[in-house]
Amino acid sequence: MYTNPKPCKHLADYKLRHGLSGYNLLQEQIRTTPSGKSSVKNHQTEIPRCCFCNGYQKRLYLCLICSSISCSSHTLLHSQCENGHDIAVDIERSELYCVLCCDQVYDPDFDKIVMLKHLMDLPRSGNGVDVSAGRRSSKRRRLCSALELDLKKTKQLVSMRDLRAKSCYPLGLRGLNNLGSTCFMNSVLQALLHAPPFRNYFLTGQRNHEVCRKRSSDRLCLLCDIYVFFSAVFSGDRTPYSPAQLLYSWWQHSANLASYEQQDAHEFFISVLDGIHENGVKARNTGECHCVAHRVFSGQLRSDVTCMSCGYTSTTYDPFMDISLNLDTGNCPSTDLANKSLKPSDNTYVSTLLGCLDLFTKPEKLGSDQKFFCENCQERQDSVKQMSIKRLPLVLCLHIKRFEHFPVRRMSRKIDRYMQFPFCLDMNPYLSSSVVRNRFGNRMFAFEGDELDTSTEFEIFAVVTHSGTLDSGHYVTYLHLKDQWYKCDDAWITAVEEEVVRASQCYMLFYAQKMLYYKANEDLVCQPVSPRADPFLPIAGCC
Amino acid sequence: MSAKRSSINRPPTPDVDRDRENQEPTLQEIINIKMIESGEKERLKELLRERLIECGWRDEMKSLCRKKGRNNVTVDDLVHVITPKGRASVPDPVKAELLQRIRSFLASTAT
Repeated sequence: MYTNPKPCKHLADYKLRHGLSGYNLLQEQIRTTPSGKSSVKNHQTEIPRCCFCNGYQKRLYLCLICSSISCSSHTLLHSQCENGHDIAVDIERSELYCVLCCDQVYDPDFDKIVMLKHLMDLPRSGNGVDVSAGRRSSKRRRLCSALELDLKKTKQLVSMRDLRAKSCYPLGLRGLNNLGSTCFMNSVLQALLHAPPFRNYFLTGQRNHEVCRKRSSDRLCLLCDIYVFFSAVFSGDRTPYSPAQLLYSWWQHSANLASYEQQDAHEFFISVLDGIHENGVKARNTGECHCVAHRVFSGQLRSDVTCMSCGYTSTTYDPFMDISLNLDTGNCPSTDLANKSLKPSDNTYVSTLLGCLDLFTKPEKLGSDQKFFCENCQERQDSVKQMSIKRLPLVLCLHIKRFEHFPVRRMSRKIDRYMQFPFCLDMNPYLSSSVVRNRFGNRMFAFEGDELDTSTEFEIFAVVTHSGTLDSGHYVTYLHLKDQWYKCDDAWITAVEEEVVRASQCYMLFYAQKMLYYKANEDLVCQPVSPRADPFLPIAGCC
Repeated sequence: MSAKRSSINRPPTPDVDRDRENQEPTLQEIINIKMIESGEKERLKELLRERLIECGWRDEMKSLCRKKGRNNVTVDDLVHVITPKGRASVPDPVKAELLQRIRSFLASTAT
């Protein structure tokens, strides 16, 4: 979130005396360079020079009052010669500078004027900024409030007690038997069991399997099977559970993956969500789908493709259920001459999740074989593509692409490179509002899509790790419940230290919006409560 | 009266504008003007920006700036401190590529 910094005394004085007149006069001289930056260029083709030393190679500043140009060494001199001429504009960058503070200063009024000129100059598309949009999405708020109700219900249910539970492990911790190379399934299921809104949906009986039409006609229903699965795991029974029915149900849906071979956990995850979506509420033609899979996991990606000739930007939005990230390796794409890179040795570079996210949102030049048809130029041009996140989901699943497939060579390999990941993640820099804002330099300008009401802070709750090779490997999930990490290795669950988790080779990372995570953890608190003899509710569990 | 005498004896203040016209523009200035007029300077700047980002130079400068902290730091401070380090750490291949570009530009505009 951007808060406007307080103006320095000199800027405040200038504003009092001159208001916006200086800015408005300057506006005519602002030009947009082909690369998309705003510079001050007067109509003369002369190159700007310092009025004291005639230099043209340092940073040059244009006085807002008298338009005289000084270089960085002589701005102070100008201010001494002319009283009150304290505020100037960096010619190359169109940014405000206070001569007496020797520092950049910010004024939203100034930035607004620069941006307006900039947008007027750009061809049609405004480089991806929609100035007219001021609408806020109220859909998100409605969904959130609907899920709020779920949490209250969960709390009521959780206060029931089941005498079978012996330990004081948190609720919902139960080993899953391996049914024949099904660790890929078990690992993902453990994560799903503890995705806060997903869990709440199934535990609060929103999935009313009594009236499910499919079941009544003896057909398989994936949603009902998941519901039964959740009930079993949260029942308080700690003996390892065999999710055979669920496996069978899933096979029916994804026939191509039905075998006893090891599968990819990420593929399973996508396939299960897809199964839930298809089995669930019929999606309307317009607007968002309200099946639980979409409500919990779906977000929206924004893709901007900018023509390198004229700057025209084409923006598209696509939904996502998870984000697949390439590992950042710190290698620069080699120029033919580059034998010497800046970093002393590439072997010491550690990949991080933030590095991968940076890579994901980095502007990427499209190859010459992928020339994009520019609406403005009316021909195919070289273009630059940049991804950003328009809307974050409640639960963010990040998939690290560790399996490389080479169709030409007909081989696949696994990338074992270690990747460091944080337990708390702030997604703000990767949002469309941040990414688009950065294209225009240092500005205090409210961009559309500045969602002030949605949080960008996430907490990790599950990590699916893979060890071994592509053909013979093993998946293990680490769950973060109530400040304790648990290792879920098929049927064996053990408490572990967080160092173990940090050192693991992550494959899929599950983050929940901070508020949801903390609320969910409150629900798992074990409290002694008198048992209720209500047999109707299938879930009873507390320790 | 001594003040007046010294003012008569004082040499005239050098007039900046007159000086500018008298001096021949240096070769460097001519090249610079030609590059700006043709738009080549802008293109080279973009190319340089791209190469410096790719090889991690910009990220290194960013972390150097961050080391100075966030309080009581001005733009001028940063520029003053970073500039020599920045200039020194530009990788040779990048320099070579840009020099090559400038050479071909000069060759193409030779009159």
